[in-house]
Amino acid sequence: MRRTFIIIALALLPVSVNAQTPPQRDSAARADSIARADSIALVRELEAQQADTLGPRGQQGPINPRLLPDISVVGDFIADFSPKGSTQEGGQRFGVRELELAFQAAVDPYFRGDVFLGFTDEEGVAIEQAYLTATALPARLEARLGRFIMPVGKQITTHRHDLHTVEYPYVIQSFFGPEGLKGTGIYLSRVFAPLGFYQEIIGTVVDRFGESEDLVSFEAPNRRLSGLGYSARLRNYWDLGQSSNLELSFSGITGVREQPMSATIQDVNAINMRQSVIGADLTYRWRPLQRGLYKSLILQAEVMQQRNQRPPPFPPPFADPQDPPLEFLGPIGNFLGAYAFGRYQLTRRTYLGARYDFLEDPAADANTHAASGYFEVFPSEFSKLVAAYERFMPGGGAKALHRFILQATFALGPHKPHPF
Amino acid sequence: MLTRKFMIVAASALLATPAVAQLKVVTSTTDLADIAKEVGGNKVTVRHIGEGYQDPHFIEAKPSFVLQLRNADVWAYVGLELEAGWMPLLLDGARNPRIRAGGTGHVDVSRVIPLLDVPRGAVDRSQGDVHARGNPHYWLDPQNGRRIARLFKAKFTQLDPKNAAAYDANTKAFEAKLAAAERSWQSELAAIRGKPVVAWHTSWRYLANYTKMNIVGFMEPKPGVPPSPSHLAGLIQTMKRTGAKVIIMEPFYSRKTADLVASKTGAKVLVLPPSVGGERGITDYVQLMKSDIEKLAAAVR
Repeated sequence: MRRTFIIIALALLPVSVNAQTPPQRDSAARADSIARADSIALVRELEAQQADTLGPRGQQGPINPRLLPDISVVGDFIADFSPKGSTQEGGQRFGVRELELAFQAAVDPYFRGDVFLGFTDEEGVAIEQAYLTATALPARLEARLGRFIMPVGKQITTHRHDLHTVEYPYVIQSFFGPEGLKGTGIYLSRVFAPLGFYQEIIGTVVDRFGESEDLVSFEAPNRRLSGLGYSARLRNYWDLGQSSNLELSFSGITGVREQPMSATIQDVNAINMRQSVIGADLTYRWRPLQRGLYKSLILQAEVMQQRNQRPPPFPPPFADPQDPPLEFLGPIGNFLGAYAFGRYQLTRRTYLGARYDFLEDPAADANTHAASGYFEVFPSEFSKLVAAYERFMPGGGAKALHRFILQATFALGPHKPHPF
Repeated sequence: MLTRKFMIVAASALLATPAVAQLKVVTSTTDLADIAKEVGGNKVTVRHIGEGYQDPHFIEAKPSFVLQLRNADVWAYVGLELEAGWMPLLLDGARNPRIRAGGTGHVDVSRVIPLLDVPRGAVDRSQGDVHARGNPHYWLDPQNGRRIARLFKAKFTQLDPKNAAAYDANTKAFEAKLAAAERSWQSELAAIRGKPVVAWHTSWRYLANYTKMNIVGFMEPKPGVPPSPSHLAGLIQTMKRTGAKVIIMEPFYSRKTADLVASKTGAKVLVLPPSVGGERGITDYVQLMKSDIEKLAAAVR
């Protein structure tokens, strides 16, 4: 398509090029052509200023004399053209899903600081992540202290706006929430290779597993140390060759969460229950080194199981016999979720992706399926446009839902690498 | 008695380790790796992250690279944000304080290079993938090859002073080899001087500065931005007017568009390796420079 466009444009060109152009037009044409060739114009401008060459940088001043942190902003916009109405949380057809403001810098020779603030219409300002990373620990340990993305699975470790899809897979949304899972606490990781390939073990201890969502239980889940959130992840990575590699990882998290009851008694509307999630993820990547600007492939699959503590007999001990009858509304039993995702690079700037989701749905007592396709355009490394179609099949005899979503994201500020 | 004997053996083993230990050097590019090998000789082991036929801006931060870096004594990189898209992840992952910024083995090679294309005034991304601190493709000038070698000599000597004499001798040998090569390609330089050419990316600016070839335009309208039809139309006009008959490009770009422009202008597309290993048979830095200059001279003659 692009090639055709170029050929048509160039086919029109010879007329003007071959014509005998008078000197004034000639000069104007050259100026015009130079102006179009911005790279060369910039170089010539620098040459004219005699400012193109600087001595070795040791002779210059510092690059960042005020010691300011790196500041960046990411904007994430959504347009939802689904035929049965918007499928967004707030019901908007057009919405700013999130603005993220980040500050990142070395704190001192021992720590780095990363702060990410999220701005949304619904929640206002929220501390998405804010953590200190200890960079000088012995034994190749890395420790973080603060709020961070919980490393439970593969896609969840990527910021939502950096995903190759518009939303997290349904298994992540269902088990952890539409914005993934964050935790506040301690993060410790170690890289090792006793078997000759890359392995990393990551463990976290956080204040709680997930958010409370206005649920109040008889006592805070974290009252006992056993009620905190604990997670572990083991990453295994192999190079299959220069162009392809494989990652197989295992994750688990456990903690005590408030689960809803059917009524509020003495300001208590929830009961504390242990919940755990275990999972495995597999990612295959192919990207030929020499043609890597134009061709690449990712295949990814992840499976997770949510395991729920069996609820105690009702009514709970704090309920009065005169209270209305209580029912447990939280999840009962164990539930499985999975997805498979693939993305192929068509050209330097365009990608085609697809995902299939599967989720056991405890509420509907039926399995949810979804199939979606994505067309991504990256005008540059700093902007992304996505067109997505999804067929959402809730199961249990309910009608399938068709979703059409457009997404645009942009990044201002210093270039930050994406996690591998 | 046994304890004492064990302690002597253990102490001897510990003392013996530095005598046989080589400095472990990891570089971001093959060019830096080759110069590090020339300077370090058998006193260092050298590995590199990127390959010579790969775009150094877009390297994946694969975890296997972390394993290379976690025991490195020296991490040498081009700098000027060439590696900004992947280096921070690797250095964070390596958890090696020696090679982190501020560590003794963290070597930003650009600090000893006189830079081209350093923008003055406001810089933003409307100018494309502009490198705000200067053009990072400086290794394609033999003078800078010498500067890199001297920097490595100083760094290796600082970290491994007992082999200072070897590093000094190796550096002198490298410079002599480079000087001999430079004498051998004088006629090629004379052929290239002043000749108008078009380059795909600004990566050939230092080679142009050295050879005095005249880059009259770039295939990219702005650094890192693929050519648009309107830009190519202007470029073709410029090529016809200036008589540019060569389009220089790296092996990792698609040459379809360059071939199209060449067909409209009668120019030839010259795919040059920008780095050691960028083409079969280009196995060291001096060979790279010699090959590029000879091919360029043959193309513009």
